[in-house]
Amino acid sequence: MSQENTPVIELRHVNKHFGSLHVLKDISLQVKKGEVVVIIGPSGSGKSTLCRTINRLETIDSGDILIDGVKIPEEGKELASLRSQIGMVFQSFNLFAHMTILDNMTLAPVDVLKIKRKEAREEAMRLLERVGVADQAHKVPAQLSGGQQQRAAIARALAMHPKAMLFDEPTSALDPEMIGEVLNVMSELAADGMTMLIVTHEMNFARRVADRVIFMDGGVIVEEADPETFFSSPKTERAKLFLNSITAH
Amino acid sequence: MKTSIRDMLYEEPGPKTRKNIRIFTILSILLIAALLAVIIRQFAVTGQFAPRYWNFFTRWTTWKFLGQGLWVTIESALTGAVIAFVLGFLLMRGKLRRNKILHAVSVCLIEFTRGVPTLLLIYFFFLIVPQTGIKLSAFWKITLPCAISACGVVAEALRAGVNAVPYGQTEAALSLGLTETRLFYKVVFPQAIRFVIPSLIAELVIVLKDTTFAYVVTCADLMQNAKVLISNYDAMLSVYLVVAVIYILINYLLNKLSDRLAFRLKTGTAERSAA
Repeated sequence: MSQENTPVIELRHVNKHFGSLHVLKDISLQVKKGEVVVIIGPSGSGKSTLCRTINRLETIDSGDILIDGVKIPEEGKELASLRSQIGMVFQSFNLFAHMTILDNMTLAPVDVLKIKRKEAREEAMRLLERVGVADQAHKVPAQLSGGQQQRAAIARALAMHPKAMLFDEPTSALDPEMIGEVLNVMSELAADGMTMLIVTHEMNFARRVADRVIFMDGGVIVEEADPETFFSSPKTERAKLFLNSITAH
Repeated sequence: MKTSIRDMLYEEPGPKTRKNIRIFTILSILLIAALLAVIIRQFAVTGQFAPRYWNFFTRWTTWKFLGQGLWVTIESALTGAVIAFVLGFLLMRGKLRRNKILHAVSVCLIEFTRGVPTLLLIYFFFLIVPQTGIKLSAFWKITLPCAISACGVVAEALRAGVNAVPYGQTEAALSLGLTETRLFYKVVFPQAIRFVIPSLIAELVIVLKDTTFAYVVTCADLMQNAKVLISNYDAMLSVYLVVAVIYILINYLLNKLSDRLAFRLKTGTAERSAA
């Protein structure tokens, strides 16, 4: 298996239903090492679900999901171990509410990666420094602004040294003035060569940072292109309608 | 600032409401005063204030005797509460299992312990268990049934707490590679217990009140010793009154402790970071 050409994330003919609703229809997709892929689309298009299937927070009905060319395990220690290699950032931050930011950062490195507590704390402080919330390390999440919480959540995922990062609408729950600080952290990550799959509604950000844009609607990938092509001359009618509807006001 | 439930239920009163509140306050004060007067008068008429009903409370031995009983009551209630917590925790874990049999057994045990009266359980331990050859001291004959009758309620309280923890916390822990067991003990349960501390202490108060059934098994708790005093001095009302005040004081203190703990757990981390 040639390391260079194997995609970090690969979906092959993935299907998923919620009851009678067919939310993912024969989705195939690859994310290469160091690539930043942004998924956009109207709500209910299945983009969040797609993102969540990659570390099996959502199960799939058929098809394959591969990480570094290996199918994701379905349960147990193997699945937990795979999840620890893929960072995930949620819309609602999901920092552990009863712990300080620092304890949030060190829980999984100590518990899962068996890193010594002291080393984990040092690394955590470096990462918090990097995302600009080091001065909040000893507070609990509720004492931080939404933007600070989301930056801390990104740092928490980074503490596991993930081979890829998933972002599930990371700025949708934020006040407008805090969106920028989170997007800046994400841009820096992208510039550092992190492999990223991002579900977002931030079109300017997508245009600036993405290597590739995927447009989803009704559970299918409708269009896939580099950001310049997609935003300036979308090929499909649905993509045109979508882009018009969000830029019209 | 809206702090109490009263503030959350009602809006700020206007002039008319303020007038009504004043009138009803005065009326209720008068009513309560009248009621107290009637009670005291009845006491006086029936001779309950006679010195022979109260003199023995000036003796040290009386208080020592009541104190010994109180100590047994507290020991029994605390032991019972610890057992109820452990059993309740196990039942809660069982009920939340995917294993259908474990789940069904836990549900049955929870419903059984919640449904059966404490006194019936006490009779079971008092009359039936000894027939099987198991010898229990009077202390355990009262403590075990009280614990068992509380454990189902504790299990349900804990389960409510676990359910109240947002699922996002579980997802975040899963996404970091924690296994289900580790994330339960590290992330979910520590948050769940904070939600249900008031319910757990309320249940401790119920256990403490249930231990008054100790007279059935002649375990020398506060209530049993009170009964001894009553028959010794032929003074029912004064003794019951004093014992009631003791129970009320203890349970009042427990409820205060519960408020304090709940407040601490909410703000404790804030204080720690401010320091």
